Amino acid sequence: SEMATSMAASGSNLNFGEVGCRGLGYRQASLVSSLKFNKCIWNEISWSHRITKCVGINRYDIAISPIDVKFKPVKVVNAICSTDGSTKYFDFAVIGSGVAGLCYALEVAKHGTVAVITKAEPHECNTNYAQGGVSAVLCPSDSVESHMHDTIVAGAYLCDEETVRVVCTEGPDRVKELIAMGASFDHSEDGNLHLAREGGHSHHRIVHAADMTGREIERALLDAVIKDPNIFVFEHHFAIDLLTSQDGSDTVCHGVDTLNTETWEVVRFLSKVTLLASGGAGHIYPSTTNPLVATGDGMAIAHRAQAVISNMEFVQFHPTALAEEGLPVKPRKPRENAFLITEAVRGDGGILYNLSMERFMPLYDERAELAPRDVVARSIDDQLKRRNEKYVLLDISHKPREKILSHFPNIASECLQHGLDITREPIPVVPAAHYMCGGVRAGLDGETNVRGLYVAGEVACTGLHGANRLASNSLLEALVFARRAVQPSIDHMKGSRLDISASNCWSRPVVPMSLGGDVLGKILRKTREIRKELQLIMWQYVGIVRSTTRLETAEDRIAKLEAKWEKYLFEQGWEPTMVALEVCEVRNLFCCAKLVVSSALSRQESRGLHFTTDFPYLEESKRLPTIIFPCLAANSTWSSRQLHQQYTC
Amino acid sequence: MASNLGRLFTTLAEQSKPKLGFLSSRSETGTLFKSNAARRLISSSTPSSNQQENPKKEREVAEEEISSEPKMSLENDFKDDEDEGNEDDGDDGESVHVNKETGEVGGPKGPEPTRYGDWERAGRCSDF
Repeated sequence: SEMATSMAASGSNLNFGEVGCRGLGYRQASLVSSLKFNKCIWNEISWSHRITKCVGINRYDIAISPIDVKFKPVKVVNAICSTDGSTKYFDFAVIGSGVAGLCYALEVAKHGTVAVITKAEPHECNTNYAQGGVSAVLCPSDSVESHMHDTIVAGAYLCDEETVRVVCTEGPDRVKELIAMGASFDHSEDGNLHLAREGGHSHHRIVHAADMTGREIERALLDAVIKDPNIFVFEHHFAIDLLTSQDGSDTVCHGVDTLNTETWEVVRFLSKVTLLASGGAGHIYPSTTNPLVATGDGMAIAHRAQAVISNMEFVQFHPTALAEEGLPVKPRKPRENAFLITEAVRGDGGILYNLSMERFMPLYDERAELAPRDVVARSIDDQLKRRNEKYVLLDISHKPREKILSHFPNIASECLQHGLDITREPIPVVPAAHYMCGGVRAGLDGETNVRGLYVAGEVACTGLHGANRLASNSLLEALVFARRAVQPSIDHMKGSRLDISASNCWSRPVVPMSLGGDVLGKILRKTREIRKELQLIMWQYVGIVRSTTRLETAEDRIAKLEAKWEKYLFEQGWEPTMVALEVCEVRNLFCCAKLVVSSALSRQESRGLHFTTDFPYLEESKRLPTIIFPCLAANSTWSSRQLHQQYTC
Repeated sequence: MASNLGRLFTTLAEQSKPKLGFLSSRSETGTLFKSNAARRLISSSTPSSNQQENPKKEREVAEEEISSEPKMSLENDFKDDEDEGNEDDGDDGESVHVNKETGEVGGPKGPEPTRYGDWERAGRCSDF
């Protein structure tokens, strides 16, 4: 299309490309995914070649230059925290209240006012459910090089080496700060931290708090946040879209529109700096370990704000989550976040069967149930898709009853509550989506291609995880990047001017009161159905074992489903600027789902978490991150464009 | 560990042996695999992580570690995410569990949570 060509040719957008490649520290030219949904197709190969030629990126030797945030120094307005009706003004706006958001908030609060915007209760975040530990080099016999190596191997060599170095180097200090802040980690009697060793790690380096590391970190941070006079927490404020403007070829972020879901009021936040720390997107799938808040809001609002998205195809699944479908007594309400059955069940002799009681693992791998987790995940996925079934069975009942109950009392009691005795019957299991390795593309300071917008945590794609996350590296990534974004944010804040009248530069989202209760009820019911259908499409066609045909089918079906949903909405009287929590969440789920499918289609190799039968091997020439550039097209769907209209100011 | 595992993955893929045919009793809805080659690759194009280095040895160790308290009380288990109940008491003077093997204070009782590579408590996995 004309737009794509002109963007490629014009110098300013090549700068964007440069920023996209060199400034963000990636070693090689990036693989560009064609974003077909917006009818703006960019030729994959020509883009990457063009970028390589113009920037002269050398595969192994790249100068990492930080992105210079260009701004004109202006007088700083001292109305740094005020309210004008339903517009609030802050120096810093933080979207998300997990470890990344709160760590950042506590630091920047020393320099200005901070709004922490969270869509539910502050502790409702993936952090709180990260129960394992934080990995860091804290033992003299361990080394940064070793941690780096383990990370890069786990990431199937798709990690950005500089990012890995930075994270592994700075991790230990971040952990020590948490301890100083009051987080209580397990230790030995001599006072040294107790370090565990998880799969994929060559050394003991996992710091943990009994069995609730995430929760403990979250508790310590929230305590500090509540006490901080400069931090204002806005619970039950759902982020709708970022407020952005164009400054030449740059997109600039000025804040975010939110919906107070308790009062049904739209609240606009204008801020000099915005940190997106909104976490994961597990709920694009029907079975996930993530809490309900994880609907990919951050990735979606960033994409709509013209931020570059990367590596969305790398979705981490766990192979054996308890499948409620297979329980004799169904839970009264569906479990929000899946119960993962530990590898130890298989390690202790558990056997996997399909519903015809055939033991299938030996067909896929000589190691059978003891094959690596990724192999088990693919095998289960394959069985389910082949046989069109909803779960498989994990049987430990042949082991002594006392051992089962002593090793796995949690599983035993959970199943017994639902009528299943695991000492006598097999456990129904199904893979669950757990972690998004991809997200909003971030530089080494958490900066994005949108000025004034920083990202940290699971919503970001920093280059740390590559094609697969190493255990316990996610909390670490959040800690390190939240900290690294602090100084650049402060610098940016000091050079920014908060224009009170800027609030009128964008139309306001509206709550759909005018529709009336009946129509709204119908819309919400329909939206819930559509959400389930979308999740099913994703599981069926964008699961663990992929293929070009299935991905293209997903693309097609998702497009049709989205069109059907939008048509229904607008026929019922829904206006494009209307907002409601569940409707906006589904809007974001569609956006994320499309990003995942699009990315998966563009990776013509199998690497890490992305496995496709059409390209089942690793391909050295494809060892590149997947990049999705935004594309403003005239006929984009409602989920692809920002809600508000931008007026000229 | 091999310095260039990337190449090793491909080599492994080429060397792996084809498996026996599936014992499917139903016709497959949709073809997932174009050939047996793709099927065997499910097992071979995977980086082998450290977790399965010594599965036998770890299993034996795990069995030796069977807690001297065969019945774990449910309060100690990480049972429910929403369970705000009893937080860790830490070192407040009440009897705190000290792991005899590792010297860990206040840690989980029973088998080592990471013995099979993931992080598990009483059977529920929370990190991997």
